[in-house]
Amino acid sequence: MFRKRAKPDQDASDEEIVFALQRSMEAERFAVLYDRYKDKVYQRCLSLARDKQLAADFTHDVFLKAFVSLPKFDHRSRFGTWLYSIAYNYCLDQLRKQAKSRTIDLDDSRMASNLPEDTYEAELLELRAEALDRVLQDLMPEDRALLLMKYQDDVSVKEMAEINGTGESAVKMRLLRARERAMALYRKLYPDES
Amino acid sequence: MKANPFHIIRPTEEAPPHLREDVLGSVRTAILLMRFAQLFVADYAQAILDKLGMVKRADDAGRANDPPNTE
Repeated sequence: MFRKRAKPDQDASDEEIVFALQRSMEAERFAVLYDRYKDKVYQRCLSLARDKQLAADFTHDVFLKAFVSLPKFDHRSRFGTWLYSIAYNYCLDQLRKQAKSRTIDLDDSRMASNLPEDTYEAELLELRAEALDRVLQDLMPEDRALLLMKYQDDVSVKEMAEINGTGESAVKMRLLRARERAMALYRKLYPDES
Repeated sequence: MKANPFHIIRPTEEAPPHLREDVLGSVRTAILLMRFAQLFVADYAQAILDKLGMVKRADDAGRANDPPNTE
């Protein structure tokens, strides 16, 4: 007799839901956004943390941080982009606190000078998946995050600059250094392959 | 053309099901805290994350288990 109507938020766009949340904070409304993005956020956290329990804790905190920061969201970027930037920055902050220097020591001052922007890109993308996975495990969290953003999530340099709060040229330089460190680590870990 | 190895190693696991209730429970608590905190605390977002964040709480628990500094 009475047909149950679908909850309107299920069909609403992210931006419509965010506007509604900015007018009135409701957990059930935020749950729609959680359901849409939970796996993507968890997978990004897992890529960076490389530990399921830690990734779950990071995911919890990323969504909580996003929720309490929603009043400040200015709609200049898509909600998803904004949420992923929170995820990357939060994971990176936490990993920096935990990081122990396990990477090989390379002198930054002699690196990345006068090299073309795409140096080491082709070599990096030619690595075996298992070797790349091992290299990423031992890289510094900052380098790991940059490489995953660029080559796994296909985030543009412009968006990376927004996420990191730096200029595009700084992102390109950091990417170059991250690739250089990754390839140096690869050569150290797999001397017979290189 | 060779497949991008970064795409091959991309995690495919889904978020643990229990996490939904954890997040929404924290969000409900945050809504209550925000209503009060807006009255008294300048950076209420950070104050709430400090209170409800899993990682911060785990850090605090770890410190609580550290042996006391006797120096």
